[in-house]
Formats: sequence, structure tokens, C-alpha cells
Amino acid sequence: MDERRPDEMTLDLIEPEISVKVLKVIGQKSSRKRILDMGLTPGTRVEVIRRAPLGDPVEFKLKGYNLSLRKKEARTILVEAPEQVPE
Amino acid sequence: MAEKIIVALAGNPNVGKTSIFNAITGSKQHVGNWPGVTVEKKMGKRVHSDVEMEVVDLPGTYSLTAYSLDEIVARDFIIEEKPDIVVQVVDGTNLERNLYLTTQLMELGVKLVIALNMSDLVLSKGVHIDEAKMQEYLEVPVVSTIGSTGNGIHGLLDTIIERSSDKRVYGNTFDYEEDIEVRAEELEMILEKDPYFAHYPSRWFSLKLLEGDENILRKARGSESYPKIKNVLDNLDPDSFESRIADQRYGTIQFMLRQVCDINTSHLSGSDMVDRVVTNKYLGIPIFLSLMWAAFEVTFTFATPFMNMIDIFFAWLGEVTVSLISTDWLSSLIGEGIIAGVGSVLIFLPNILLLFFMLSIMEDSGYISRAAFIMDRVMSRIGLHGKSFIPLIMGFGCNVPAIMATRTIEDSRDRLITILVTPFISCGARLPVYVLLAGAFFGRDAGVVIFSLYALGILVALLSAKLMRGTVLRGEDAPFIMELPEYRIPTLRSGIIHMWERGKIYLKKAGGIILLGVVGVWLLASIPVPGSGGQFASGDIYGTTSSLLGAIGMLIEPLVAPLGFDWRIAVALLFGVVAKEIVVGSMGVLYGAGTNEENLAGILAAGAMSPLVGLGLMVFVLLYVPCFACIGVIKRETGSWKWTLFQLFYGTGLAWGLAFLVYQTGSRIGLLS
Amino acid sequence: MNYSYQKKEALFAALAGVLYVISGTLHIVEGLGADTGFAALLFVQADILGGFCLAVIGMVFLYGLLEMRRGIKAGMSFAYVGILLSIIFMAVYLLIMGGNLLDSFIVPGDYEGWNIMESLRPGIYLGLLSLMAAFSWKGRFSSNGISVREEV
Repeated sequence: MDERRPDEMTLDLIEPEISVKVLKVIGQKSSRKRILDMGLTPGTRVEVIRRAPLGDPVEFKLKGYNLSLRKKEARTILVEAPEQVPE
Repeated sequence: MAEKIIVALAGNPNVGKTSIFNAITGSKQHVGNWPGVTVEKKMGKRVHSDVEMEVVDLPGTYSLTAYSLDEIVARDFIIEEKPDIVVQVVDGTNLERNLYLTTQLMELGVKLVIALNMSDLVLSKGVHIDEAKMQEYLEVPVVSTIGSTGNGIHGLLDTIIERSSDKRVYGNTFDYEEDIEVRAEELEMILEKDPYFAHYPSRWFSLKLLEGDENILRKARGSESYPKIKNVLDNLDPDSFESRIADQRYGTIQFMLRQVCDINTSHLSGSDMVDRVVTNKYLGIPIFLSLMWAAFEVTFTFATPFMNMIDIFFAWLGEVTVSLISTDWLSSLIGEGIIAGVGSVLIFLPNILLLFFMLSIMEDSGYISRAAFIMDRVMSRIGLHGKSFIPLIMGFGCNVPAIMATRTIEDSRDRLITILVTPFISCGARLPVYVLLAGAFFGRDAGVVIFSLYALGILVALLSAKLMRGTVLRGEDAPFIMELPEYRIPTLRSGIIHMWERGKIYLKKAGGIILLGVVGVWLLASIPVPGSGGQFASGDIYGTTSSLLGAIGMLIEPLVAPLGFDWRIAVALLFGVVAKEIVVGSMGVLYGAGTNEENLAGILAAGAMSPLVGLGLMVFVLLYVPCFACIGVIKRETGSWKWTLFQLFYGTGLAWGLAFLVYQTGSRIGLLS
Repeated sequence: MNYSYQKKEALFAALAGVLYVISGTLHIVEGLGADTGFAALLFVQADILGGFCLAVIGMVFLYGLLEMRRGIKAGMSFAYVGILLSIIFMAVYLLIMGGNLLDSFIVPGDYEGWNIMESLRPGIYLGLLSLMAAFSWKGRFSSNGISVREEV
């Protein structure tokens, strides 16, 4: 696996209401395939909607629908670090 | 002459596939299991324009990889059974992700018809879809439907028939980047030369090989041309191919969508507004618990009059039968054995029907995914999915419908564990036992004791789940990747169909086992021990030491003696397998208190049983073999006697162990004796 | 632009919120064994769990009020969901009421001296309030995708 660049982050670290671009899906074969199938392909824009009341899982919006992933799965998705922090 | 064709219904979950299936087949449905697996198979028939259609509802899937059992079942059916037509139900409000499955169905080379469903909602969302263009682009017929009202079903059926008689193969193929195409062609050439692969669409098979699909790789390994295939595959990085193939499928879809529809994106939709509330950080869990309470009240409180009706009817029927048949043993067998047995099967029906009606509303409205989203953090601690929470909660009412409710859990291992631990959740039928014993021995503290028993049940269920996760059902947690579909208004029709279906399954598949068990226990309690002089099925030997059941009780007394139990308790526990609340009634008879519970409590408290034994007995009743109805549904839902027996032995072992601990520790330190 | 609407909704949320919270609290207090003196008058029952549910509905309304006052427009969604929840609970209590009535014919022995008013619950009459609100706002309900009219 290549070195993590400073402008890369994993999806679980993104705060709600911020939208980012997917770079790559790493991680285990079976869950990676499913994540790709659900549309989290490189280049897709994903918006973090909210965390569940107990902090995990997290809800995302992409391709016009809502998807939830545990942080464990979100950690396997590399995204571009958001450029600016909204106020 | 009526022609006969097979139509398979495919589609993503939550796209209204079931309502389309219901609209096509009406009530002519048959529910079974796919061979060898516990995935449910629904089939139905429809005659339209002199053509008989056998409609098979495939499991809802997002893709056709080997990710889940559902996907394997769906794709194997398409490959092996070669249905004449595959109808993909597509959610018009969510085209992009839905069409991903379309690309794979087209690669499979099936004759596809697209039912563009929820067309009413599409318009209201401000989306305009140009069907003609879409049809042209995909080279697949597209028909608009509204599953909930049945609009467009006729047109869909006409199209299916038209398409099935058309011999041409069409449907656009998607082109991938050149290096993928080159590899795919290389593989296709190898596959086409080998008769082993004649069965499979070669383009689809080669793409799956390139994606590194494990199920397909395994199939390829069995062929003679595998070395050649391996040669091609060794020279590339499967991870990057997998990602790029998915990426390019989506890319093609996006390209098409830009020409086919106008999307007015991004305003706060009704769904988002509801979600802001029901998944709110502070209110989400309280709202969920409140809704559970509502479902619980409807399922169990509202069911009471109907259960009373069944109860009274069968009691009356039993009496009438007894008075009509003059032969004593026969009247007793039919009246008290068989009729009571049928009654004990039917008594659960109101609970089951109502619970499934409520579940259907929760599922069709989309709330059930939110419930899983909210509770997942708790359940993931013990290695289960958020969706396991609802069956466990319902278990407090009655374990039987609760176990049936595990159907909503997709992962088969999660489902199995949930089924196996649900019986530890203390159901309503165990309460009378606690009330009697706790009331007799603990007076004012009875409430605390009963509460502790419920808590113990929960604790045992959770720890057992964790234990099974780590031992007999070891494995990685299933990844949690769950769609939160848009909220929809549930229809009465689909609720009723759903509850009727579950009711039928319960009666057919679990009813027999329950009846057999109940009549079996009646027989044991009625057959006199040889030489005792008692008469078969005469009232005065029923369950006493002169009956076989009593003799068995005596026989197993040494087994339960370390728990402080005597033969009378052993017999009452044997009766309790019919239904837990019967423990109370049988103890009444065995301790000579008749049917008066207060009498019985008095006799027990006066020294017939020590408080310590009473406490152990409550723990035992909480955990030991569930009732016959429960055993029946465990067998039906796991599809395996092995797991059913595992539950029985595990539970009874645990019951014995904990009751042993209670009694032995208590008597050592001189507590409650 | 919809200032008057907002105001009407805020007022409703405040009223319903307070009523549900009070009623829920009374249920809980009664359930814990204390006698509030309201049991007979307001048909409050000793019921901790049921009281919790009513209190939750009240909290949903009040949370919405809080957001609306902070100027968050989506705060109205709490009022809408609150209305939906209170109608659901009204339906549940009505079902139980019907069930009791049916049961009183089946096992009359258990229901001596019982009359249907004993099954009347605050969840039912407070629900009427929400029902009225739902009817007067039904136009906006469906445009928000939360159509109450077609609810089963």
C-alpha cells in the first residue's frame, strides 16, 4: 500500500455536513467489493450527514441516496482532505 | 394452447419489488426456501393474454457478486435456471445506484425488462426521466409502474410477453477501458473453447474473473483450461481491476443519466426532515424505544381478546367432545390431548399476525433501517447487527414471533445467533411462574426478584451471543453497509399479505412439531406405569407417579437433586415444555393445591419448598428448554435439527449450572434455607 | 415570509409539548406508587413505560420549539414528527380500548363494573389535538413527504 499523503484522510475522520471526494477503497476483499458496488468509487462525492446517537455508525449521502457505514468500514475509504473548514 | 414462461424479478432492496410481485401474482403465492439455504424463495403465478407466467421473486440485491448468500442465490438462479425474462424493478428516484445492477444483468446476457417503479414519486421529486431515451440507450424495454397502486402492471405484463417471444438477443454492452477489454477478450477466447464453461455467459464470466470474484474463481479452478486462465490473471493487479470495473460501470451510468434525466437536486426532502428527528442525538433512542413500546402493546395487549377467544373456544370444544364420546380414554385423548394441542398451536397466531403487521409497517416505511442504525453501536459490542435488537425486544412478549422476526437480519450467522439467544429473553409465559414463586417466598421484595430474573435473561442472552461469536460461530463481524432508504407510506395491503404469509408458515411448518409435542406429553402423563393398576387416560393418574411422566420424573430426580429439586418439580418442568405457564398449574396438582394459586403459594411458603429452591427453580425456568412452539419455530427458522438441539442442550445446561450455583452456594452459606 | 406559519407552529409545539410532558410525568409518578390526585380526573394510569412514551413525544415538540426559536427552519420537522408520533400513539391506545371492549364481551367475569371510559387515556384525547393540527396543515404535510392522510 502506498504512503498516506498529507492531503489524504480516511472517511471516518470527516465531520458531519462536510462533503469530500473518494480516492480509493482499501481494506478486506469482501467489504471492499461491497463498498465499491454501493457506489463509493474513486471520484465520487460523499457528504457526511450525521453520526448515530451513540457515535457509530455514520450516515453518508452519495449518488442521491443515503448509506450508513460503521466507522470500521469508513476507515477503509481514503478521501481527499477537505480544503477549508466551514464556519 | 397456453404458453408457459418463467419470469424472474430482480432488483435492489427497498425499491418496491415486493409490491410489484404482489401486484402481479395477487394472492397466488408460495413461499419456500432456496435449496440448501435459508434464504426465502417466493413464487407466484399469473395468466396474462393466454400466457402462463411463473414469477420467481429473487432476493433483493445491489449487485451480483459473491458478497452475500442473497446475491449468490440470485445469480445462480439466473445462470442455472435460465428464466425466459428477467424483470428488474428499478427505483426511479434513485436511478444511478439501481442501474449498477442493470449493467450486471445485461452482462449476464439475460432478456431484460425494466420496471421503472415509483414513477409517481419521481415526478414529485422534480426529476424528469425520458423513458424513450433510456430505452434507446440501454436497448432494453422500460415500463413505468407504481407498485403500491398497481398502475402500469398490465403494460409490464404485455411487454414481458412481447419480449419473451422475441428471439433476438439485444441489450447494450458496456465498454471498459482498453486494457480491461483486451484481457476480457483473451479470457473469453479461452472460455469459449472449453465446454466446461458452455453454461456461462463468457463475457460476464471473464469480467468476474478480472474482478477477482471468489465464487467464480473457484468454479474456474475446476476446469482444464484453468492454467491458461491463471496465466492471464497472474499478469495483472486484481485489486485495481476490481475498482476500475466498478468505477467504469458507474461512469457509463452517469454518462447516460445526463442525457436521460433532469435532476433537481438537493433540497431538504421529507425523508431528511424525518431523519433529523428520529436519528437525533438525544431523541433518537427515546423515540425508538417508544415505538417499540407501541409495537409491543399492539402485539401483546391488543391480542388478548383474540387469544381469549381461541382459548375459550378450544376449552368448549374439548368439553363438548368429552361429553359426546362415551369411551373414556378416547374422549380424553381427543378432548384433552389433541384438541388442547391444536389450541396451543393456534393461541400464538394473534401475536404472530399482529407482530408481523407491525414489522411490515416498520419495514415498508423504512424505519427499520433507522432502528438498526440507532441501535447498532450496542449490538456490535456483542458482534451482532443493529437489526438483531428488534427480535430480542419482542422476545419479552413471546419468543415465538420474536424468533420469526429474525427474518429481517440479512447475515445468516447473525441471524442464527439471534435465534439461538432469543429464548433467554424472559417471555410473558414465564411471568406467572415468577409471580407464584417470588410472591410465595419473597413477599415485598418479589418485584426486585422478578426484575433481576429479567435482567439475568438479558445478560445470559448477550453473553451467550458474544460467546457463540467467539466459538461455534466464529468469524469476522459482517461488514455494516446499510442503505437508509427514503421513507414511504406503508400500504395496508402489503401489511396484510405479509402477516398472512407469516401466519401460514407458522401453522404449516411449526404447527406440526408443536402438536406432536403437546400430544406426546399428554400421552406420557396418561399412560399408566405397568403394574400400577391405573387406567389409561383416567383423570386420577394424570401426571402422578402412576403415569409414565411421573415415573420419568422419579427417574430423573437424581439428576435435579443437586439443585434441590424433587420429582414433583421435575414433572412440573416436563409439563412446562408444553408451555411455561403450565408449570404453575402442574405444581398446583402435584402439591395437592388443586387449581387455586393462593393455596399453592401458601403450601409452598409453609415449608413444602425452601425459598432457595424456589429461587433456583425460577432461574431454571428462565433458561431451560423453551416451549414446544418455540422449538418448532427454531427448527423452522434455522432449518436444522442440529442447531435446535444445540439450543436445547445449551439452555438446559446453563439452567442446570446456574440453578446448581444458586442452591449450592446458598445452602453452604446458609442463605434463604 | 412564512412568519405567521412559523409562529402558529411554534405555539402549537409549545402547547402540545407541555401537555405531553406533564401527562407523561403524571403517568410515571403514578406508576412509582405516588397518588397525584389526577388519576381519576384526567384518566391517567399508573404506567411508567407508557408515561415515558408520552414524555418523549412532549420532548420532541419542545426540542422543535427550541430549534424554531433559534431560527432553524428545519425545527418544524420536529413538530411534524411529533404530530405523527402522537397520532400513532392515539391509534395504539384506541386499539387497546377496542381490545378491552371486545375482551369484556368474551370474558365478562374479568370486567365486572368496567366501562369503556376506563380505557380512555390521555394519549387519546391529546392525540385529538395533533389530529386537528394535522388536518389544518395537511397541505404542507404532503409537500414535505410526510402525508398523514394516507397513513394506514
